[in-house]
Amino acid sequence: MRRFGLLLRNEVKLFRTAVPIHLVAILQPTVMYLLMATILVHPTFDVNVARSTGGRLGELGFELVAALKQVGSPIGLPYVNPILVDWDGGEVSRQVIAVEEWGGEPAAVQHYGLIDSNLVKNFRNRLTAAALRLWDADLRRRAVTVEEHAWLPRDVSYNVYFGMALLPMATFLAAAAIGAVLTAQEFELGTVGEYRLAPAPLGLILAGRLVRLALSALLSAGILLLAVGLLNDAWPVDAWLVGLILLPLSVMAGCLGILAGLLLRKSIPAFLVALVSTFVGWILGSSFGLAAGFGAGYERISRLTPFTHAAELLFPHYYGATVGSPGVSALVLVLMAGGLVVLTVLVYRWRILRQG
Amino acid sequence: MDTNAIHVREASRRFGNRRSGGVLAVDALSFEVQQGEIFGLLGPNGAGKTTTINLLTGLLRRDGGTVEVLGYDPQRQAREVRQRIGYVPQETNVYLDLSAVDNLWHHAALYCRDLAGVEGRIGDLLRLMDLWQRRKDPVRTFSGGMKRRLVLARTLLHDPEIIFFDEPTLGVDVQARHVIWSHIQAQRAEGKTFVVSTNDMAEAEALCDRLVIIDHGRAIALDTPERLKADLGRDIVSLRTTPPIDDPEALFAGLGVQAVTRPAPDRLRLEVRDAESIVGELVARIGKAHRLESVRIARPTLDDVFLHHTGRALRE
Repeated sequence: MRRFGLLLRNEVKLFRTAVPIHLVAILQPTVMYLLMATILVHPTFDVNVARSTGGRLGELGFELVAALKQVGSPIGLPYVNPILVDWDGGEVSRQVIAVEEWGGEPAAVQHYGLIDSNLVKNFRNRLTAAALRLWDADLRRRAVTVEEHAWLPRDVSYNVYFGMALLPMATFLAAAAIGAVLTAQEFELGTVGEYRLAPAPLGLILAGRLVRLALSALLSAGILLLAVGLLNDAWPVDAWLVGLILLPLSVMAGCLGILAGLLLRKSIPAFLVALVSTFVGWILGSSFGLAAGFGAGYERISRLTPFTHAAELLFPHYYGATVGSPGVSALVLVLMAGGLVVLTVLVYRWRILRQG
Repeated sequence: MDTNAIHVREASRRFGNRRSGGVLAVDALSFEVQQGEIFGLLGPNGAGKTTTINLLTGLLRRDGGTVEVLGYDPQRQAREVRQRIGYVPQETNVYLDLSAVDNLWHHAALYCRDLAGVEGRIGDLLRLMDLWQRRKDPVRTFSGGMKRRLVLARTLLHDPEIIFFDEPTLGVDVQARHVIWSHIQAQRAEGKTFVVSTNDMAEAEALCDRLVIIDHGRAIALDTPERLKADLGRDIVSLRTTPPIDDPEALFAGLGVQAVTRPAPDRLRLEVRDAESIVGELVARIGKAHRLESVRIARPTLDDVFLHHTGRALRE
């Protein structure tokens, strides 16, 4: 145990041999989250309604504004912010709704400026939702009745999902990138020679490095978790369980980093392999939304990565609802980690202990 | 009682494609290393010295022959061997951004069987190698000689019985070189066995009790440096003349010249049994048709021993 403690202490001290890589690998996901959080689409947005001069059209305009104010999520606050604007029928900057006479009947007409089709869709949906409310209010039981049932128990902003799905990425990036650079550096410095003849058991040496990489990974995830929590007041139900979910991921990433270092023996290529595999895995693995929401093809590929399984296991801690099969996901993560540990031991023996 | 620390018998190792023959890096090499001696592996680059060390430490598998290090086969009993040996590689492989103390602790975790007395031993070794004042500084700030001394301290930390030292003073200045030699000799006096690989004749002569000269993976001579030189039984006369002597064998006939080589067009190198007794006649014969620019008489060096056995100089 004392030897392991000493190995771990030495591994931590190797921080000094790659300070910039440590800073990038540990802090980059949080920096990325903070940047993304400022530009992420917020569901509340402004809808311009042209002010009418009065009369019947003016009354209908006010009714439309009131209906727009009620449009929202069944588990959250209304998310449309109608703004009355003066509009003379000229050029439209983004969008404006005007109540006009069409064939002797009043009609809400939506005019668009130079905006993309996604924004058109969003404006149209909000107008449709408001119109349905007016229709229901007018015709009661004879109308199309819209009943909304929430799947989630509470409303959680998308910023939180993005942060939650970034936790596995933060874990993976730190362990993989630091592991890759530290291991490749041993070849560049020649210090790998120290390991070649070391009588200390191979298992203990590798365990020392993996535990240290796992600690770096959990530190990175912890910083991100704190940022997500402070920014959104969204905290996981059980932080220790979150750590436990991320642990196999950190072992996997550590193994991947060590493998990259052992096979490439140069720190920059090994770092790039760790970086690219982390980002590709994260993008394929439920990074921007649950895999099930993106079609069967994506979901199948996504489930090959550990990120989707980790995101689905983390989901209940932020949203209070279970997705996927937690037991299967946990098993997949443990098996993936175990498989990579075995592979790392074999490659380590081949690359370091046996030269020929 | 066996006083040998190492036995090597007919050891061989081939690299490359075995079907096409590959390259025989070590070819039926045999020697013994006695406990407490400094044993040298002398040879030019690519002679097979490092391969031999790798066979002895168990880093490489041999293709044939037997190797015993302190009674253990490094191939089959790797852990037993590794606990008892130390290895100083050719390149100074330390963590440059860590301090000397941190580098030694790193080694202790990997090598020391008993961690109880390590702290005291680190202090002792740093003082011994004159690195105590700089123990907390990053190794990056050390000179080449200091780094080499640190590597030696690191190797001594786990108290190995045999130390394999690959090119001990490669790339260090003259002063540091003598300091390292004195440390090696001091450790030998305390009973450590050293196997030193070098292509530096001065180092081999100054340091080694016995040495084996290796060329193309084969042992071509093995003895003490003094005996190897004495066995040549001849002196070396080096001459430079203008114009060059075209037919030295004819010019020096009857003077007992045993071998003539021409290192440069205007230079001759003669091997003679007793240079002092013939030098007068030699100069007289040259003076008849040539001008003697320089003459030098020398006792044989290890380079001459190598030249004698292989027909080419060690540094070629």
